[in-house]
Amino acid sequence: MSYLFDTNEGARYLMMGNDAIVRGALEANVNVASAYPGTPSSEIIENLSKASQKRNIYVEWSVNEKVALEVAFAASIAGLRSICAMKQNGVNVASDFLLHVALSGTRGGIVLLHCDDPGALSSINEGESRHFARMIELPLLEPGDFQEAREMTRWAFELSEELRSIVIMRSVTRLSHASGNVTLGRLGTPDGKARFKYEAVPGDPDSGPVITMPVPPHHALLQEKLKKAIAIFEKSPFNTYTGPEKPELLIITCSACNLYSREAVHLLNAQDRVGILKIGTTWPLPPKLVARHLAMTDRVLFVEEVLPFLEENVKVIAAETASEVGIKKFYGKNDGTMPTINEMNPDIVVDAVKKILGVEYTAMDEGYAKHAKEHLAALAPVRDLTFCPGCPHRASFWNLHNALAMDNRRGFVCGDIGCYTLGFLPCGFSTMKTSHSMGSGIGIASGFGKLTQFGMDQPILAVCGDSTFFHAAIPALVNAIHNKSDVIFVLLDNSGTAMTGFQPHPGTPLDAKGGPLPTIDPADICRSLGATVEYADPFDTDETQKKLLALMQEKGARVLIMKQMCALSPEKKGKKMFEVRVDQELCRGDTCGCSRLCTRIFRCPGLVWDSNRQAAVIDEVICAGCGVCVSICPSGAIKKTEAGR
Amino acid sequence: MKVLGSRELLADVLAKELCIGCGACVSLCPYFRSYNGKTAMLFPCTQEQGRCFAYCPKVEVDLDEVSGKIFGAPYSMEPLGRSLSVMMSRAGKKAAGDNCQSGGTVTALMTYALSNKLCDAAVLTGREGLNAVPAIVTDPGEVKNYASSKYTSAPTLEAFNRAVERGFTRIGVVATPCQVLALAQMRSNPLAKKDFTDPTSLVVGLFCTWSLDYRAFRRLLEGRVDIKDIKKFDIPPPPAEVMEIYTDRGTVEIPLAEVRSTVPNSCDYCFDMTSEFADVSVGVVEGRSGMNTIVVRTERGRAAVDAAVKAGFLELEDMPADNLARLRTAAGNKKKRALKKAAGEGIINTADGRRSLIRLEPKNLAGI
Repeated sequence: MSYLFDTNEGARYLMMGNDAIVRGALEANVNVASAYPGTPSSEIIENLSKASQKRNIYVEWSVNEKVALEVAFAASIAGLRSICAMKQNGVNVASDFLLHVALSGTRGGIVLLHCDDPGALSSINEGESRHFARMIELPLLEPGDFQEAREMTRWAFELSEELRSIVIMRSVTRLSHASGNVTLGRLGTPDGKARFKYEAVPGDPDSGPVITMPVPPHHALLQEKLKKAIAIFEKSPFNTYTGPEKPELLIITCSACNLYSREAVHLLNAQDRVGILKIGTTWPLPPKLVARHLAMTDRVLFVEEVLPFLEENVKVIAAETASEVGIKKFYGKNDGTMPTINEMNPDIVVDAVKKILGVEYTAMDEGYAKHAKEHLAALAPVRDLTFCPGCPHRASFWNLHNALAMDNRRGFVCGDIGCYTLGFLPCGFSTMKTSHSMGSGIGIASGFGKLTQFGMDQPILAVCGDSTFFHAAIPALVNAIHNKSDVIFVLLDNSGTAMTGFQPHPGTPLDAKGGPLPTIDPADICRSLGATVEYADPFDTDETQKKLLALMQEKGARVLIMKQMCALSPEKKGKKMFEVRVDQELCRGDTCGCSRLCTRIFRCPGLVWDSNRQAAVIDEVICAGCGVCVSICPSGAIKKTEAGR
Repeated sequence: MKVLGSRELLADVLAKELCIGCGACVSLCPYFRSYNGKTAMLFPCTQEQGRCFAYCPKVEVDLDEVSGKIFGAPYSMEPLGRSLSVMMSRAGKKAAGDNCQSGGTVTALMTYALSNKLCDAAVLTGREGLNAVPAIVTDPGEVKNYASSKYTSAPTLEAFNRAVERGFTRIGVVATPCQVLALAQMRSNPLAKKDFTDPTSLVVGLFCTWSLDYRAFRRLLEGRVDIKDIKKFDIPPPPAEVMEIYTDRGTVEIPLAEVRSTVPNSCDYCFDMTSEFADVSVGVVEGRSGMNTIVVRTERGRAAVDAAVKAGFLELEDMPADNLARLRTAAGNKKKRALKKAAGEGIINTADGRRSLIRLEPKNLAGI
């Protein structure tokens, strides 16, 4: 991470996009950084928290994205510079506050940095947060490469201060998590003194109270800011054109798609025929710049990820300037040339340009491609989407599944967001039947639990991780308890925000820097709300199932905390509780009475079927030593002994 | 006998609500479990043939084949099934206990069987609240703790399977007709295992007209009886038409029509009132509250009863002819009703590869 603090201006490093963003923020002398973790955004705050050891920065893992933005906003109106990072759906969480921040205006530079996840590589949605910029009337920037990620972040703070507006910056997975060359800028010494000035009259941008009322004049002021932004964007160096003066085809692109477009044009050797307009300031679009480039050609191809944001906004400008720039033939998402789902890649761009220009190009001979695919398939082991060896969630879902099956009333689990979202798959014994946004599991369950008057007699359970509990589950739990909903709220407490890399949360005793903080116990919260709270260790399968079965006989809102630390947690990793082995003489394998329960159903990656010996065997390399499989073996063939620590 | 696997059992029995929860498929593997009177399948199993299907009394029961294994003769349409004698009985001086249902015959016989090593373990059924809970008993002194009728259907054979797994080889079982039928199938070695030996030494069957669904019965009693106070249940002979529930705070009467509403569908298809495949079957005697009816069916049953009488655990009396006649009528009616219903629904002696509830000689069906 030394490059983050390298004071040699002009030094070049291979940097991950998220690191380039961090470097940009450090060069802008950011004072406050806040976030709720979410892939692909989490490294931004992680690295800023490292930086906070050396520089006077306050870094916080906030309880959720809305609160994170509120924390960053406080810094802004106290005159400091702040950044708030989140993943795409975090913007939805923060959006209510964002709507009001747009109206109230800001003081110190403040940047909302959201990392979208086209293709949902680490998400259960493919949300496009760019639309918030248009909907809420805020400027939006999209860096087109790694160098720009650094430069644009640094500039975003200046822009925010010039406009007195929060600035939204969007990255995507392939920019945040891929790496490229970045030349460093000057790293200054952070300064800034925090003081919230409210002495002047309301409406005074520098020292009045910060309130959105009266709304119409504030709204008008916001729209003035956007006009000012347009004027700035018309001249912005982040909007670039590469190509001939009169291209046969103009590609208009942004973000990581800039890289795919350049690669495609290069592969097709079409530099003389195709021009690329890369736009970095995607909202509000600078109309003169767009019109000038539209006038260069008759054919336009839009290359962007997920929805046609750039495409539709450019088309408005094209319609308004049609008398000057002429009628265009547009290729993009609306005419089906480009997909509206999933990630973009150079191949898709190559295919589109090939068709439009009528050029021949074969990236890979068909026979060779087939051959390569076969060989790769043989090399790569088949891996299920599954929980890690020793993961408490496997044991938790085992218990939930078996208790629900034994109870035999077609009960089900409403799921939430975390590693345990995989509970809808065979690795969670397909126990989870709904999964939506953070905290929605208990919210949906709260609704289900009130359907008894319509004949609903299925037991209703909701699962929720400890971090998700604090993020958004508490209001829904309050709702369930207050409205006497018949639900069992199961807190899958694995002692950290495990999925995104063990960021602390209010239930853990550390701050972002690793310093001590008081913990807040979810059990105390649940009890204070009036719920009965029981505990179970999911690794004790018999006892946990008994508790679940007993809870299912009761009515009203009930809470069961299944507590067991994540197998990968820094405190647990590498330490085995048990040495586990299979007595292959006792292993019944494929016969009646077993039918390979352990390797066919339970399927911990640490348990492997040895087809030569027709018996199960422990993969000692990856077995985490949790010992749960010992209790599931019907013939007692799996043995455990206390591991020496 | 056609033997298939758990998938077929799920489709033919569990999904059709024909399962009575006898426990025959439970404790053989990790896939079937008993809970609150119902049998649940936790996960699908891939075996094409399984003990679960082979033992189940609610699918593909070949009555002639089972009868052949137990009695060496085809299935009899005689209302009480095959028997050597029908008499009245009660516990002898050596065994008289309290809280027995009528004459205490079953408790006395099983106490004798354990005391005299006729059995190395007894599989009995106790009660926790309304829930019938099976147990493996080896101490003859404990048998009396399991006395009296349970009424809710019981997974007794789950404990039987555990007893076999534990290595008992002369097991005594007290079972309802459906459980006795499942046991008879187990004892027939349906999967043709080498080195098979019958793990039972005495099967005592109970008379049964229906059982109750635990969950429905509990709902019925909610608010009327404090379940933990219940000492004993009884259904006095007609014309009372009530179930009597004895508690510390007196007796509660529940109209029989309400109680019958909690009888599982499965019982409507049961043709056996008197546990026709047991060694000895025991029931009440109408109008004689201190006596039992005892039907001795097999040679080993007769030997056990004779020895228990000789040792003073049991006393026998002749059965009055009109009592026997009424019993035969009741049992015959149940048989006819069930077979007629099943035949009407086309689930007996099915052809074309379709699976059947039971199979029996077609001419036996002609008379009903």
